[in-house]
Amino acid sequence: MKRQVFIIHHMSCSGCALRLQGLEDSLPGVRQVDASYHRARMEVVYDEGQVTEEEIIEAVRSLGYEAERS
Amino acid sequence: MTEVFLAFVTGLTAGGLSCLAVQGGLLASSLAGQIEREQAKARLALPILAFLLSKLAVHTLFGALLGWFGSLFQLSVWARAGLLLLIGVFMIGNGLRMLNVHPIFRFFTFEPPARLTRFIRRRSRDQRLLTPVLLGALTLLIPCGVTQTMFAAAVASGSPLQGAALMFAFVLGASPVFFVVSYFATRLGAHWERVFVRLVAIGLLVVGGLSVESGLNLAGSPISFARLSRALEQPWQPVGVTPSPAPSVGGLVPDGPALPTPTLPGGQGVIALRVLNTGYEPAVLEAPANQALTLHLVTDRIYSCTRAFVIPALNIETMLPVSGEVAIELPPQPSGRRLAYACSMGMYSGEIVFK
Repeated sequence: MKRQVFIIHHMSCSGCALRLQGLEDSLPGVRQVDASYHRARMEVVYDEGQVTEEEIIEAVRSLGYEAERS
Repeated sequence: MTEVFLAFVTGLTAGGLSCLAVQGGLLASSLAGQIEREQAKARLALPILAFLLSKLAVHTLFGALLGWFGSLFQLSVWARAGLLLLIGVFMIGNGLRMLNVHPIFRFFTFEPPARLTRFIRRRSRDQRLLTPVLLGALTLLIPCGVTQTMFAAAVASGSPLQGAALMFAFVLGASPVFFVVSYFATRLGAHWERVFVRLVAIGLLVVGGLSVESGLNLAGSPISFARLSRALEQPWQPVGVTPSPAPSVGGLVPDGPALPTPTLPGGQGVIALRVLNTGYEPAVLEAPANQALTLHLVTDRIYSCTRAFVIPALNIETMLPVSGEVAIELPPQPSGRRLAYACSMGMYSGEIVFK
């Protein structure tokens, strides 16, 4: 398991954090997402064997946000 | 009644869009399974209505609870003024947050703990019939910024009934946007979303500004928009000292026809104000300094908050009759003193200038 923090751009309310948290269900290999609108960041715990960092960034982009490694 | 109507309009405009941004995803994910299973929009109306009715019921009950909580404190004029200022600052902060002015404004909205949102989100995947009802109730735990402001207003109302009415009106107003967007499963384009968010933000800035203004008026602050505008108008503002014989205030309105109003009392040491549904007349009342005075407040079929009359600096607070007259004794005031008065909501204000 790997833990990675991302800076998230374009979040507009706490609902965005909820939406990003949904990656736990929609992206196989993602075990836990703790997203914060206040801090504009997202901490992801994921299985490197199942999903890559690039795929996570792409999934975030598909939700309408931009993610970059912290 | 005015506040309840304002709450409804706030829900219909700012509240609907703001809450939809925070809570809409829950409803959407709850409906997703049904859309896949049934492929029929007609069947969607029931779970959406269940969600909205549950949300309405829970928020109304919570409004009553907040109002009851507020009633425990018997808020003084100063506390109410402080609360109005806080609500105003909170709304302005939220408006600036939505306009992305600075990241610091993000802290003007409450962020529920991740564990709580995770629990609610997982419930939304449940396909049982009661799920929308449960989700509607759980939205209480993830309020949007505008809803949080309404919570504060419900506390400030100091009445379980008024608190419940405020929350009921607000959530009812927010419901059409929820229903339409969820039923048609439409998403506003990114462009229109940005436009709406900006409109909501501007609305919040305006309403927040009004709340700050009310707080300042209620506190008798020398700095407020009302005081500034009165200062600018003063050269042609009629003087309200009541000479003998007694005048009719209706005749004091500049550039307008005389109103059919009751005659105000007059005489030595007596000053008078006519209480209207939309303010006090005259807004600037001149009075002799260094002598005790009796202030007569005259009402005639008055049903607005102007009946709840306060002079913060003298700790005077009185509820006037719908129609009638109330006399208030004012201690001697030094020359040059400007004594602010207002309604209990700070919406309508004026001042007595001692000369």
